[in-house]
Amino acid sequence: MNPFPVRQAARLLAIALALACAPARAQVEVRMWTLLSGGDGARMADLVQRFNASQREVRVTSTTLKWGEPFYTKLITASVVGAGPDLATVHLSRMTNLAGGGVLRPIRAGELQDAGLKSADFYPRQWNKSQHAGQTYAVPLDLHPLVLYYNKTLAGQAGLLDAAGTLKPIQGIDALSAAFRAVKQATGRPGMTMESSQSSYAIWRLWVSMLAQRDVPLIRDGRFAYGAAGVDSLARVSSWFQQGYAQPGLDYPASTSQFMGGNAGFMINGVWEVPEMVRATRRGTLGFEYGIVPLPRMYGNDSVWADSHAFAIPANEGRPMTPEKARAALRFVAFVSKHSLGWAEGGHVLAYRPVAESPAALALMPNRLYAGVPRHVIYDPDAWYMGAAGPLQAMASKFLPAALSSQLTPAQALRMFETEAARLIRKRAPRY
Amino acid sequence: MNITSGDAGMGARIQTPTPTRRRGDALPAALLLAPFAVTFVLFFFLPALETFYMSLTESSLTRTNAFVGFANYATLVRDPSFWAALGNTFYFALLTVLPLTALGLLMALLVNHFTRASNWLQGAFFLPFVLPISVMTLIADWMLQPSSGVVNYVLGMQRAWFADLAWAMPMVAIATIWWTVGFNMLMFLAGLRNIPLDLYEAAALDGARGLALFRAITWPALRPVAGMALVLQLIASMKIFGQTYIMTSGGPFNTTRVTLHYMYETAFTQSDAGYAAAIAVAFVVIVVVLSLVHAGLARWLARRNA
Repeated sequence: MNPFPVRQAARLLAIALALACAPARAQVEVRMWTLLSGGDGARMADLVQRFNASQREVRVTSTTLKWGEPFYTKLITASVVGAGPDLATVHLSRMTNLAGGGVLRPIRAGELQDAGLKSADFYPRQWNKSQHAGQTYAVPLDLHPLVLYYNKTLAGQAGLLDAAGTLKPIQGIDALSAAFRAVKQATGRPGMTMESSQSSYAIWRLWVSMLAQRDVPLIRDGRFAYGAAGVDSLARVSSWFQQGYAQPGLDYPASTSQFMGGNAGFMINGVWEVPEMVRATRRGTLGFEYGIVPLPRMYGNDSVWADSHAFAIPANEGRPMTPEKARAALRFVAFVSKHSLGWAEGGHVLAYRPVAESPAALALMPNRLYAGVPRHVIYDPDAWYMGAAGPLQAMASKFLPAALSSQLTPAQALRMFETEAARLIRKRAPRY
Repeated sequence: MNITSGDAGMGARIQTPTPTRRRGDALPAALLLAPFAVTFVLFFFLPALETFYMSLTESSLTRTNAFVGFANYATLVRDPSFWAALGNTFYFALLTVLPLTALGLLMALLVNHFTRASNWLQGAFFLPFVLPISVMTLIADWMLQPSSGVVNYVLGMQRAWFADLAWAMPMVAIATIWWTVGFNMLMFLAGLRNIPLDLYEAAALDGARGLALFRAITWPALRPVAGMALVLQLIASMKIFGQTYIMTSGGPFNTTRVTLHYMYETAFTQSDAGYAAAIAVAFVVIVVVLSLVHAGLARWLARRNA
């Protein structure tokens, strides 16, 4: 009676559907947001791919958002309305802000243990920075300090290298200024290069390092406490630009290409430029040999600004995470920690000790050149308005660069910065 | 019914004021009004009320943390950053309102005068107005690049215009004028085309020409249009945000940060929505007061001239 075999078709369709859905149902999907772009983004994408290929139960999908304030604004608002991702990369310098503001969900000790992660496997400095009010809120991935890059050709012409062709130790702010001057005088090219245009963050990192080296606190009891030392430090950096050792007004790409093009003796920047140096050397497009040293001791100690990437789980209020999903997310975090050698090729210092202390990581160049730095790193001080692209850094990035381009005197720049920040540092920490 | 004598022509046709017919009119009227009324209440009135309430609280972007009464306003009046931003807003308005109106008028006159090229001219003047702000700012940014921009090339300099203390705001103003002047031109053009040609013919017979025609006929006829253009322009200029946000980020060191930009930073960078709401409310009050003063002034001038 029935020319079309409805029943058979329905059965076939059911089987097909079951086949199509079965693997998907078994798989837990973990959605991750990252702020990693460029080389870091590519390396993270590679880790995600390797993880997805390594097993079938968990599938990580990663979305890259714009670094800085846009990323954090989105993460904060999405998480507190329950629309955030399952996992996010954050900066450890933002822990007080994010964990304290209720944006992140604590990671329980049992969950870490199940994933095979233990606190002893991480360096104490990073692990402590991942804690807030006695709970763990993040799993550290790396550490990226400020370092000093140098061009061996130009530094050699200026007589700054030893017999082995490495930079002679530079001690003290005067010696550092003298090194920049020596390159300028010997080669006619800028002694140093550094991002210095409007809204750049480099000067903040350097200035905070200088304060720490002088043991001067930035803020104490809700007031700026850097005083004359802060003005003096900014003035010293500013003088490099006024004396012509450095070219003012360069934005980030211009400042790095000045160094990469062989047109500056030194570059003060984070270790995140290492992959570019390595790649250019490998391709033979870098016209000189380069070296890296930790940021020199300019004052009393070797402190240097650094920040860290870490994995954290957004709180997603009203949409709490299932234990299954938390397990899946942490499984990915553990995988990345244990396969983080590739991450170190981004210049980063690893936070996971078993890998960081493996012979392969210890031998990695040029990372070996600044292997001692982690002992001296400082993060932005703990406060809700601190941290990477946080409210205070954003304010500083408007005023401090103006002191480098001589649009403001260092004292003026800092006074205007303080006036602008006054309302911020008086304010209670927000609960998002 | 209150149909005035001026509406007599229309009134004659629809004038049957029986109660039943009136009720019959009420439904279509309500239906026609409803979309606007609903949109207005939903997307303007209620949010405005909520913004006012929010300005009385300490809030983050998503959560109200405490009711603080007028504390945000007390902070606001003593906040140098707010006054500086307001000053920048006025500076921008000063740089744009009059030039935009005057240039719009001039362009309309040109289009009207050169009848052969009028379509071409009108297109050229109006074209920038159709660009999205991101495209306009990109073009301006390219043209003003320190080492590769055409402006510096022509002038033979290497100035970083948007980083320059003296030039940042004027450059934003010039870019904005280039971008939006076409709209004012259209308004003036409409006004110009409403002037009966026989007025000019009559005046020409009396021997008037050139500037005299403009002073005696064109300008009096266009004065209401100019008044409206000025008010609209004032409000538009006070609302500036996108141009400075994209082109200068408010720099150098906040000298081009306008009120709405400050509000944006307070809300989004600092998650201080309560204070941002207070800025918004204060700013609305200022703009409304300014517009009223302006409109009152215009009416007074018109009455005095009449």
